[in-house]
Amino acid sequence: MTGLGTALAVELLKARSSRVLRWTGTLLVAGVVVLSAVMVAAARSGREDVVAKLGPQAASGDWTALLSVATQVTSAASVLAFGVGLSWLIGREFADGTVQGLFALPVTRSAIALAKTAVYLLWTAVAALALTVGVAAAGLLSGLGAPDASTLGGLGRLLVLGVLSAWVAVPAGLAAVLGRGLLPGVAVTVGVLVAAQVSVVAGAGAWIPLVAPALWAIQPSGVTGPALALVAVVPLVVVPATAWAFDRIQLDR
Amino acid sequence: MTAVLQVRGVSRLFAGGAGVRAMDLTVEAGQIHAVVGLNGAGKSTLIKLVLGMLRPAAGEVLVAGVDVRTAGPTTWRQVGAMVETPLAYPELDGLTNLRLAARLHGVAPAQVGARVDTVVRELDLGACTRVRAGRMSLGNRQRLGLAAALVHDPRLVVLDEPTNALDPSGVIRLRESLQRRAADGAAVLVSSHHLDEVARIARTITVVADGLVVGTLDPTGVDIERAFFATVHAAEAAS
Repeated sequence: MTGLGTALAVELLKARSSRVLRWTGTLLVAGVVVLSAVMVAAARSGREDVVAKLGPQAASGDWTALLSVATQVTSAASVLAFGVGLSWLIGREFADGTVQGLFALPVTRSAIALAKTAVYLLWTAVAALALTVGVAAAGLLSGLGAPDASTLGGLGRLLVLGVLSAWVAVPAGLAAVLGRGLLPGVAVTVGVLVAAQVSVVAGAGAWIPLVAPALWAIQPSGVTGPALALVAVVPLVVVPATAWAFDRIQLDR
Repeated sequence: MTAVLQVRGVSRLFAGGAGVRAMDLTVEAGQIHAVVGLNGAGKSTLIKLVLGMLRPAAGEVLVAGVDVRTAGPTTWRQVGAMVETPLAYPELDGLTNLRLAARLHGVAPAQVGARVDTVVRELDLGACTRVRAGRMSLGNRQRLGLAAALVHDPRLVVLDEPTNALDPSGVIRLRESLQRRAADGAAVLVSSHHLDEVARIARTITVVADGLVVGTLDPTGVDIERAFFATVHAAEAAS
């Protein structure tokens, strides 16, 4: 891949100055942490309407409740936030018109696309870690006591859910290239969320890569190892396709 | 003279008939070649074909003897271009944008600082180095984009409407820069919809209309503007 190192250095520099990535990540982490903590606090204070909405697991108002709410919120919010972030990372080149400057360079556009994906995976991993630490801190500050092994396992699953959600959202990047802008990526992200919901309702969740991470994080016994590993197929197929499409693109619209 | 850019029988048409048809054009080392034509004449399509932004339906484009469809980093390292929008990220300041452009154009990290300093002086961008591109005036963004295209001392310079939004001082800086670069052996291709200050310094001026090369102008002529319109109108009458 010609110029991948240079492309990576350039994309890291751009990402470091990006308010979009900073604020999207911050809003995701703050949103999940605050929403989870408030919901559990409401459940602990005896709000039956909240318990009815969150399900029996939340009624206890303990670590299990906190993790249950955090996992449910994260499963949807992280895909949305990460999809928006990736749409921006790639689609902004079209929206800002800078894509024209990415032609006639010794650094190939496929290298630039792969560098953008690498930066995206790094950003999402940092966000997933911050989210997990934030939820743990919220639990401790709420007086839930020291986490036991089961709680630590739940926090670990929350971290993995965040990482895998980033994998699930990579079609947003391909859509941004094919649609030449941010909005197609955002639209595909919403489509991924809708497809995931429909899959769950239809009872076909465990073997659908788009929903397997969320189902596994909520109920680990419901998703087998091979079904979870199948999630890797999404980036393994979509990322090379994105790099190829970005390399072959013509500015004919 | 060595032909750095050769456009041979290139065609690319869009729905509605716009584009370029069987166009031929050569830019030699040390030459400034201007392509002028009215809006929609096919200038930008030609530039995009040269830079690989569009693939020709027929014909070929050679840069330093290499077909742009198969050109690799060795070829593209020799090219500096700006088309329509400057390569300037609004959240980054002028200096960072230029460093980034230098890296993307293949300048070794150790040489980036010196190259950036040189082009900043050349285009008088000193006051913009610490200003975010998003806060720059249109003219300064244009200067920044031109600097980004020239920072690596390209052997082939390709600029589409380079004087857009430039103030008179910027036009003079660009004109002097291109003249110096051509004197040092660079091949320069500029497009313009009018006979601006940069088009007038060209050694060769090619007139395009309706996607075709319809004539050339003598850059030393006394009434070049009149000759331009006469050429365009004659082509329209013949079509």
